[in-house]
Amino acid sequence: MKHYTNTLAQRANPDEAWIQAIRKRFPVENAIDEVFTRKLHNRNKSAEHSMDFGKLPDSLSAFIKHETQQDDILVENVHRLSGGASKEQFTFDLTWRPEGEKTPQKQCVMLRMDPTESIVETHRVREWQTLRAMHGLVPVPKVLWLDAEGKHLGHPAMIAEFLEGTVRPESKEDKMSGIGMYFPPELRDVLKGQFVEILAKIHHLDWKKKDLSAFDVPESNSTQANQWALNLWQRAWEEDAIHAHPIMEQAAVWLRENMPVVDNPVIVHGDYRSGNFMYDDNSQINAIFDWELAYLGDYHDDLAWATLTLFGGVDEHGNGLASSMMPVDEFLDSYEQLSGFKVDRKRLFYFHLFSYYKISVIAAATSVRVAYGKKTHLDAMMNLASGLGYVGISELNRMLEQT
Amino acid sequence: MGPEISQFLSGMKKTVEQVVIPNLTDRFAQEQAGIVAATLGYLETIHDKVFHYELLENQLYKQLLASVITLIENDSSSSQKLNTTAESLKQHFKHDPSDENTALRAYPFIRASNEVMKESLCDIIQEQPEMPKALRDQFETLIKPFFKDIELRERAWVKGLGFDSEADQLPDIDELLYRDGKLALP
Repeated sequence: MKHYTNTLAQRANPDEAWIQAIRKRFPVENAIDEVFTRKLHNRNKSAEHSMDFGKLPDSLSAFIKHETQQDDILVENVHRLSGGASKEQFTFDLTWRPEGEKTPQKQCVMLRMDPTESIVETHRVREWQTLRAMHGLVPVPKVLWLDAEGKHLGHPAMIAEFLEGTVRPESKEDKMSGIGMYFPPELRDVLKGQFVEILAKIHHLDWKKKDLSAFDVPESNSTQANQWALNLWQRAWEEDAIHAHPIMEQAAVWLRENMPVVDNPVIVHGDYRSGNFMYDDNSQINAIFDWELAYLGDYHDDLAWATLTLFGGVDEHGNGLASSMMPVDEFLDSYEQLSGFKVDRKRLFYFHLFSYYKISVIAAATSVRVAYGKKTHLDAMMNLASGLGYVGISELNRMLEQT
Repeated sequence: MGPEISQFLSGMKKTVEQVVIPNLTDRFAQEQAGIVAATLGYLETIHDKVFHYELLENQLYKQLLASVITLIENDSSSSQKLNTTAESLKQHFKHDPSDENTALRAYPFIRASNEVMKESLCDIIQEQPEMPKALRDQFETLIKPFFKDIELRERAWVKGLGFDSEADQLPDIDELLYRDGKLALP
């Protein structure tokens, strides 16, 4: 790709002055600033992302020995998982002695690791802390070890227990995870109540009592949470876009001028939708995934994301379903009943527009940027995902026309 | 010139689908090979329209930005930044003027010119909060139909990638690029 303008040349090979200017222009939470800035510094020096994981079993073994102080652990059967657009994921069998156990046990565990550059740049400590905060409250895998800066495994990573389950029923359609999925009616009937109930529980977590030191706490009754959130995505666009786009610029102006106040910030999951949960053989949701985008903000953000037309499939009559599970109004009514929080439709509109902005940043800018640099485990997929990005920009424009 | 690019692409797609994928045992590799095949299929549908897509955008941006420059120059209260952007656009149009010769230019020239124009339009959009209301209203009147065209064109361009639930109702990109067998220039 040629660098047709100075801006495009800076994005491809950012110098320190450009990096500092963009940090100043878009203030974000400290941990977010840390990973975004690291991404830009790495962009200059790192080569293509390697797909060779031949040395991974040895690295894993050394890392877990270091963490557990057990010299006789055994790492076997390391397999790459399909799916997982933003992070590389592997499963492996680990023989070790969990806390309190005297005899070694074999356990299947999962490694979740940053690629060289990701479709979304996120902080492993934040994800780790969120999973620990949620454990016991909602179904999440138990996290075991964290290599926050990739000192042991080469890239920031965490290891968690592996849970068996189904993310999506068998289908001939093979779109990106969570896009337009289909659950049969009898399955929807069992899953939908759980799906809403879990979201209500997430938003009710008393996060002040949890260790969330990697999160900055926004001021209540202010726009600070939403400013940080918009700055994050606008910064990602400014750092990653492969061409300027006037609709994206117009959307950013509207989002900034119409930003609502957040009265009492809650933990926002950030990617709550079909495709990011799993259910067991009894159709019970046994895991909620992908907490990497969690932040303290407005619960309407999760409601908007979960009800986005782009993610939702349709029922047998072609009617749209929130997260492929229930009509949008039913989802919102159910959420109000279970959470006790009121749904403000004006605010929901704001966050629907923000949701399309985020999707467009991810799929039309960052995914193409990381594929351009050959920085991920899914370069071919990242190019293809641009199609989702331009649908997102189109939806963004349709919403702007209503303002 | 031969073989044609479409022939290369269709040959590769068939090989990946009928030879490579059936012989792969690893699920991750199968998934990636499927994406490669889908990409090759998509390229087959768009590869011969890339130049004309950029050329049409080149003409449309020039037309819009000429009107925007007039707006800015006619408003005495325009900010320094707006006037600077307008002036740099006028300089750019000396480099890539609005005449038929653009069609004779190489693809990278047109692509670069378009990027300069897009970045300038984005700079102007960012200035909207500082614009006097009358100027902002006139500017919005200009950009709304322009945005609608972009929306339609981009959605038609990517509909073959399989993410659009409205793909069946969208026009093919040919219908938006060409009129009476020629590029639908403004």
